[in-house]
Amino acid sequence: MNYILHIIVMIFIYGILALSLNLLIGYGGLISVCHAAFYGIGAYTTTLLMMNFNMNFFLALIVGVLLTSAMSLFIAYPSLRLKGDYFFLASLGFQIIIFAILYNWVNLTKGPYGIPGIPRPHVFGLALESEFFFFLFCGVIFYLIFLISKVLYNSPFGRVLKAIREDEIAAEALGKDVPAIKIWAFAISAGIAAIAGAMYAVYVSYIDPTSFTLDESIFILSIVLIGGSGNLKGPLIGVVFMIVLPEILRFLRIPDTVAPNVRQIIYGLALIILMKYRVQGILGDYSFE
Amino acid sequence: MILQFLANGLIAGAIFSLMGLGIGLVYNTTKVLHIAYASIFVSGAYALYFFLKVLHFSLFFSIVLAILIAMILNILIEVFVYKPCYLKKTSSAIPLISSIGTYVVLTNLIALIFGNETKIVTSGIEKSFQFGSVILTRIQIIQFAAFLLLFTLYLILLKRTKFGKLIRAFANNPELLSMCGVEVLNLRILIFGLSGIFAGVASCLVALDIGIDPYAGMSILLVALVSLIVGGVGIFESAVFGGFLIGIIQNLVVWKISARWQDCITFLILIFFLLFRPQGILGIKKRMEEL
Repeated sequence: MNYILHIIVMIFIYGILALSLNLLIGYGGLISVCHAAFYGIGAYTTTLLMMNFNMNFFLALIVGVLLTSAMSLFIAYPSLRLKGDYFFLASLGFQIIIFAILYNWVNLTKGPYGIPGIPRPHVFGLALESEFFFFLFCGVIFYLIFLISKVLYNSPFGRVLKAIREDEIAAEALGKDVPAIKIWAFAISAGIAAIAGAMYAVYVSYIDPTSFTLDESIFILSIVLIGGSGNLKGPLIGVVFMIVLPEILRFLRIPDTVAPNVRQIIYGLALIILMKYRVQGILGDYSFE
Repeated sequence: MILQFLANGLIAGAIFSLMGLGIGLVYNTTKVLHIAYASIFVSGAYALYFFLKVLHFSLFFSIVLAILIAMILNILIEVFVYKPCYLKKTSSAIPLISSIGTYVVLTNLIALIFGNETKIVTSGIEKSFQFGSVILTRIQIIQFAAFLLLFTLYLILLKRTKFGKLIRAFANNPELLSMCGVEVLNLRILIFGLSGIFAGVASCLVALDIGIDPYAGMSILLVALVSLIVGGVGIFESAVFGGFLIGIIQNLVVWKISARWQDCITFLILIFFLLFRPQGILGIKKRMEEL
């Protein structure tokens, strides 16, 4: 039972990440490989505030979200000037810089040793120590993010973002404030990713920088690309595919030593094949034109 | 002291330059950001390990085979992954994503076959030579010499042969080139083959020095990309300039600050250049729409 709860909690956490990255890829049309950086900043900020200042989880979460949104300016500002491959490179650079900071600023983040013993949050005086309560809690947060995303995707903001994706100059000519909208998209996307980071930290109760590498960013990107972007269902299908797939491999009795590699080969192949035959992903709308 | 760090920087820069030349050749002509180049590098090094350590071929023969494998693999990626995108005239995002997928597949395939741990290709202590206050190992000198040789040949190829002229014409205007009756698809294959040779040579040189693991390619490729951007996209030799600059800066960071902050500084330089001088040091200023 706990096994199934674990998988569902992971689906919730990656679902939050996929919905937030979808805003940048499916709506903004930006191929960004720095989502693990936002995820990591959120996880570390929340954890450090909870552990060092005994802060309440929700307060720490809010500060984490705000800080991550603010940090997203460092990549949002370049995105105003850089297109295509150049933006991809900038986001890659941002990802590597954040990873290097998490890894090397040992005084603050304990670097490669990681931070163990992160406490679970208390909700209405109830500690979420049991897996089932945490699953419920995570489900509620996921549902909230889902609703926020739904509203956001269909709001004027989401539509303007799509318009910018299709034709930036035309959107600007119609009087839309393109820089402001892009910066907001980054801030919102990064903030939501920070929530996923905080959930991950309190769920696993241990974080270290290796959870927030470039490979993790590529994994999150693959979720959105394989599931498809530009609508609500695409990223979620991607999450289910990418999280459930390794569990299926487990039942096929593939030895644990090679299972991670087999899993990665499958998702790499999925990316190549989709780009060849179905650019918009399994259920997506946006096909990078 | 400073001379030693400068020398180390130049030698590291030679490797970055080789990789930068290879990826720059592909990017300048085909406009494909060839992320899978990282796994070409790793494949070359593992091929060297396989022929030298498992099949016990001679060193020279193993190196030739390793370079050949890197070359062929690079061409296969062009034929099966990038060519269809080119024919369909897709946006640059599609080859980029396919390239990431190819990188993931190849890297993990290698990890699956050879294991995740580092493989050492040479054993024993390298012979070292002293020049004044600078100490260099034999393999470091070979690395630099190999770079000089390859770079000279490449320059001659670019400036003095018909093939070089075609490459430069391709970079300048691909549509016009195909209108002139040049088979662009064949030219692309030659370009990817040549770029594979650069990765093959670089990977053998690195593998002989420090060994190889399946994930080593990405970090070298990323620095090579930084070298390319810093040097200037659009100019074939520019990656050498960027490569040496980054190599020297990295070693100065090791000397003055700490080896741990190498990556951070390197990628801060990248973002700085992307923002304020996207055409690189040697490049000619272009309007953003043309990039």
